[in-house]
Amino acid sequence: MIYLKNLSKHFGNTKAVDRLNLHILPGEIFGFIGPNGAGKTTTILMMAGLLEPTEGSVTVDGIDMASQPEEAKKRIGLIPDRPFLYEKLTGMEFLMFTADLYGINLENFSEKAEKFLSIFSLLDRAHELIESYSHGMKQRLIMSAALLHDPRLIIVDEPMVGLDPKGIKIVRNLFRELSSNGTTIFMSTHTLKLAEDVCDRIGVINKGSLIATGTISDLKEAAQIRKGDLEKVFFQLTEEKNDS
Amino acid sequence: MKQVIMLLKPRLWSFKNRGIANEGNTRFFLFAGIGTIFWVGIFAVSHRVLVYFQKVENFGDILAFKLLSMILLVFFSLLIFSSILTSLSKLYLSKDLALVHALPVPSEKIYFARWIESTLDSSWMVIVYTIPVFFSYGIVYKTGIFFYIDIVLTLFPLCIISSALSALVVLLAVVLLPASRIRSIFVFLGLAVLIILYISFRLLKPERLVNPEAFSSVLFYFKDLSTPSSPLLPSTWAFDSLKAALTGNNSNAMFHLALSWSGAFFIIFVDIWVAKVLYFKGFSKTQAALVRLFKTQSKGFNIFFSFLDGPVRAFIIKEIKTFWRDQTQWSQIFLIGALIVIYLYNFSVLPFEKSPIKTIYLQNLFSFLNMALAAFVLTAITARFAFPSVSIEGNAFWIVRSSPISIRAFLWIKFFIYLFPLLILSEILVIATNMLLNVTPFMMYLSVITLFFMTPGVVAMGIGMGGAYPDFVSENPSQSVSSFGGLIFMILSAAYIGTVTILEAGPVYMVFMADIKGYKLTYLQWVWVIGSFLVAFLLSILAVILPMKFGEKKLVVFQR
Repeated sequence: MIYLKNLSKHFGNTKAVDRLNLHILPGEIFGFIGPNGAGKTTTILMMAGLLEPTEGSVTVDGIDMASQPEEAKKRIGLIPDRPFLYEKLTGMEFLMFTADLYGINLENFSEKAEKFLSIFSLLDRAHELIESYSHGMKQRLIMSAALLHDPRLIIVDEPMVGLDPKGIKIVRNLFRELSSNGTTIFMSTHTLKLAEDVCDRIGVINKGSLIATGTISDLKEAAQIRKGDLEKVFFQLTEEKNDS
Repeated sequence: MKQVIMLLKPRLWSFKNRGIANEGNTRFFLFAGIGTIFWVGIFAVSHRVLVYFQKVENFGDILAFKLLSMILLVFFSLLIFSSILTSLSKLYLSKDLALVHALPVPSEKIYFARWIESTLDSSWMVIVYTIPVFFSYGIVYKTGIFFYIDIVLTLFPLCIISSALSALVVLLAVVLLPASRIRSIFVFLGLAVLIILYISFRLLKPERLVNPEAFSSVLFYFKDLSTPSSPLLPSTWAFDSLKAALTGNNSNAMFHLALSWSGAFFIIFVDIWVAKVLYFKGFSKTQAALVRLFKTQSKGFNIFFSFLDGPVRAFIIKEIKTFWRDQTQWSQIFLIGALIVIYLYNFSVLPFEKSPIKTIYLQNLFSFLNMALAAFVLTAITARFAFPSVSIEGNAFWIVRSSPISIRAFLWIKFFIYLFPLLILSEILVIATNMLLNVTPFMMYLSVITLFFMTPGVVAMGIGMGGAYPDFVSENPSQSVSSFGGLIFMILSAAYIGTVTILEAGPVYMVFMADIKGYKLTYLQWVWVIGSFLVAFLLSILAVILPMKFGEKKLVVFQR
């Protein structure tokens, strides 16, 4: 579904992402973890077509992001970490805007919009201005909008930021359901417990380089840890890298 | 005071760091160059006026002092108006206020620090551009150094008083009304007062003063000139001090200066006392979400625009709704409305019948110049609405960038959204003024067609330059017109309008005179006429394509 080949991004002399190679299969939930400033968001921005790589390529569903960005973007639902929205629209109007932008059939719109708003417990507030929403509500609205056009790939940057326990539970179950229906999910997160619970594979990035990839047991092996959770693995891997 | 200085430090550091982050000197020199031209221009005009007044026997000094008093009154009114808007923003609407109010600092100290910032922001430009006027007084009246010191010492308390009075009004108003709504109300009221003042001034017909038949009214006029202004106005204290310094009466100047400073300190004291009671109350009220004034049906717009392509419809509906719901945009409408009212009113009062030049010639000359003038009005409107339309996406621009819409398509959608209303407006403007001028059908057709081809050029420049120099982080993107990109847009648009006007001037004069005098154009003259219009047409096409391409190229790079 997604193929990153030698993906690099340099900001002056800083290598934010350095020759990243990754292949994610359809229906897979891939967790992307790493310390602050490791290059997670830069990778996500390049994957979503918001940032041009210095080197390398991004291929989504067989479509090259550099040569056919609009086609590739049609297949992606992006959920950024900060919920910046058009504050003067209502929740429902924002969904309608998204539907028009992605060419969704308006006949099915109401049904679909209401379905997602209901999943994210926003239906009651759908006709209120977004500026009156809380951070978590805005995050839920972005998620509803990202799912509206049935994307084949969902890219999420910090999905749980601002969500209450109920919201976290909804998102966790939804990701599992979407994955079982063939949707690929690429998730960058600091919530290691979430990554451990829902991800099929996890990639650890540090200082712009992918230092380990695989299932939890693969990562434990790489970190030479027999017992312990992902947190222990994470510290072992990232501190090892920092020491070297 | 230590806490107040601490609160002002982030601003000082940001100012210092802005110098470090400066990428190049082009912008600085461009702004400094234009600023200097204005400064020198103001000085030259005021110096010339004062020298002319000096030549008027008996009345020279009366006229010069009346002018000084009027300048100070306008200066004071401008400061009050700009301080209201700035202090409203600084005290209640800035994004960093939540952080500042969380600090262990009394609210009146936060108020005082913010008020100092607001005073500096609202006053510096008015001071800079009125200084040349005062300098010209010093030079014409050949004063000593005391007058120049007095200028500085007089203007400071005037700025403080106006800023403190404005802040006091804002402090009281915010307790009664939400802050964001007050801004629209004040802008509306300010502009309404401006239009009323302007129309009343025009109704007085000051041009009668050059007419000897109206000599009796001239006597009344001079009688009015020598009447002193109200002693309760702070601008009168400043005037009395400057007038005394101009005439060498330094001790009298010092007395009025002391009056100004004591007034300034008193109003600061009152402000802080009121702020202690009301500032936090008002700030707390501002945090509550606004209730929408008008509710529109989402589906209505969708049905109305259903014939359009999805992305185009999405942006049109979003743009219309955001525009009407964002009250900061309303002030722009008031501003443009005032501009149009004054523009149309001026045409309705042109005294053609008294001109020694043949009326039909003059009417059509005005109509031709009006084309350029209407295009300049269009530039001003484009600068306020179309230019900031990319910046207005703000932090939500990621939605556009991640959507399956190219930057090119996005810019062209924006172009068409603004083209149609602006085209209708500019055509209405030019047709209405031509009707008021009672021009020939030839001039009417020419104006309508020229504006039809010029409007897309001006709008494309606005969108293109707005895309090339976006400001996604500004709290008020509509003010981005005063940025580097806004300035470039203004210069380009003026150059384009000027070139088209020059290209059309010769051929139009020839065709018009041939029509009036009843002769036919020669073959060579026809070649010139057609050639000129063709070049103007090609220029208009380039004016659409090139800025849009430039905007796209820069915006794509900006996002990456």
